[in-house]
Amino acid sequence: MKVTFVQADGEERTIDNIAPGTPLMNAARDHGVAGILGDCGGSCACGTCHVHVAPEWQAAVGDADDVELAALDMVAHVQQANSRLCCQISAREELDGLRLIVVPAI
Amino acid sequence: MNTRDSAPVYFDPYNVEIWSDPYAIYRRLREEAPVYYNDQHDFYACSRFEDVERGLMDKETFINGRGNVLEVIKANVQAPAGIFIMEDPPIHTAHRGALSRIFTPKNMSMLEPKIRDFCARSLDPLIDSGQLDFVADLGAKMPMRVIGMLLGIPDEDLESVRQSADAKIRTERGQPMVFAQETASGEDFADYINWREKHPSDDVMTQLLHAEFKDETGTMRKLTRGELLAMINMLATAGNETTNRLIGWTGKVLAEHPEQRREIAKNPGMIPAVIEEVLRFESPGPHAARYVTRDVEVQGVKIPKGSSVDFLIGAANRDHRRFVDGDRFDVKRQARPHLAFGYGIHACMGAALARIEGRIALEEVLKRFTDWEVDYDNAELSSATAVRGWETMPTFTGPGGRAARDARKAEKAASTRVEPTASVEGTWNVVVKSPAGPMPTTLLLERVNGELTGSQSGQGMTTPITDVKVDGNNIVWKNEVKQPMKMKLQFSGVINGSEMSGKVKAGFMGSFPFTGAKA
Repeated sequence: MKVTFVQADGEERTIDNIAPGTPLMNAARDHGVAGILGDCGGSCACGTCHVHVAPEWQAAVGDADDVELAALDMVAHVQQANSRLCCQISAREELDGLRLIVVPAI
Repeated sequence: MNTRDSAPVYFDPYNVEIWSDPYAIYRRLREEAPVYYNDQHDFYACSRFEDVERGLMDKETFINGRGNVLEVIKANVQAPAGIFIMEDPPIHTAHRGALSRIFTPKNMSMLEPKIRDFCARSLDPLIDSGQLDFVADLGAKMPMRVIGMLLGIPDEDLESVRQSADAKIRTERGQPMVFAQETASGEDFADYINWREKHPSDDVMTQLLHAEFKDETGTMRKLTRGELLAMINMLATAGNETTNRLIGWTGKVLAEHPEQRREIAKNPGMIPAVIEEVLRFESPGPHAARYVTRDVEVQGVKIPKGSSVDFLIGAANRDHRRFVDGDRFDVKRQARPHLAFGYGIHACMGAALARIEGRIALEEVLKRFTDWEVDYDNAELSSATAVRGWETMPTFTGPGGRAARDARKAEKAASTRVEPTASVEGTWNVVVKSPAGPMPTTLLLERVNGELTGSQSGQGMTTPITDVKVDGNNIVWKNEVKQPMKMKLQFSGVINGSEMSGKVKAGFMGSFPFTGAKA
């Protein structure tokens, strides 16, 4: 599958051939997407892989659960209804073409 | 050292010589023994990036509940509730969560102007002095000030808090850290918390006093006094010690890479990447230990349940499998995440703060100083093993600094041009003024086939001395001692009749004065 990360500098980084099941944070880290640090490695504990999901994709991606919402508290100042931590979104076929807007934590 | 290359690799963090520059050993560990077992201290060590990364993520197999440094795990003590770096889920999740809501990147960045102002006030008076100590002038002060601002600790109490924090993790050189339960209980802060409870403010302490969180049983409650004290104490220690070391390393590494430093000074936009590279290259928290809950196999080596594993972050961060030419400092290297802040559920909560502090410190230094050289004679590595970094990192800066450095060289040279002495041969009583008190030794100098040679006795041992040279009134000799630890002492002094005085360089421990008198 393919995902496009829109970095804070406006540059669009499209990553192709992401294996199903891969957390999107890892895909972003592996390709050096700016603003995705993933300090905690996907443990939903640091808030450094925050993205806003493009509105047309929100329903397919789904909402954050309680644990993720607690982690999103760390970035409450830029949190929106479409905020997700992309370590908690796994690659799957129906998300092919997904657009995520990177929201750097610092 | 050829002898060592042929022998099996040895590593322990308490060996002062290894700890002063562990990277050659780290390289050998990664290649020859990626899962190394030390039978003297009974622990395993993982050094490859993939193993350290995977190990830190595996919170079921490698737990923190028995401690996160080897000494604590070995001591088999129960850490006070609230020290969540020594806890596992679910209570870890509850305690960390309570703090994380306050310790946010947003809150951190609000501190930025205050951090900048504090750096400016520390650095401005030094501009014309020609000297800057990255640790004493900046690292030991600024992070403490910031954590103090966060916690709301009054300024006048800050220095005593820092000294208490440093003393807690400092160890006797070459010895494991002694873990005393009372050192982690946070009683230091009890009075302050009582006071803050009656005088609420907008600080972390006030927020923690009133924060409700869901505990491991699912109950909404406030933190107990014990939990709060423990947490605050942990924060004060973590907030001071590590960032201090980061700032010291930044000063040292950039002094040793002047071309990169000049380029950074011209392009301050590079600074965040510079801080990441310093964190990778000289990780202030170079290892994290875990207790093993079940038999596990790593790189074909069986690690039994009940073992202690040290994950060597400092070694992983230089692994060539992950970082091309990992032993090279290169601020322009392809940015790839490192493990300096750990990984997994215990990843450093203060990472955002540390990054901001490191960036601002370097920005403010480079606004004022673009050239500096380390004053190695006076730079001293800290004896701590939980973190690794400098106790002092004095540098010469700008034209004033170069003048000071040249003056010192000239002084040394001048002292060699004094009247020659009659004879140095014989027995001398030489006293080294070490930080632990005066250490008497007996120096025997004799001439064999025209060459000066001899021996030196002290601490109940006699060792032959080498490289004895007398030039005018100047004398130098070397003595490799085994007690109180293995190290090379380099004496260099000036003889004046039947007396001599000078300095002895004791490895990286620094230089101490000595005096001598003909017996």
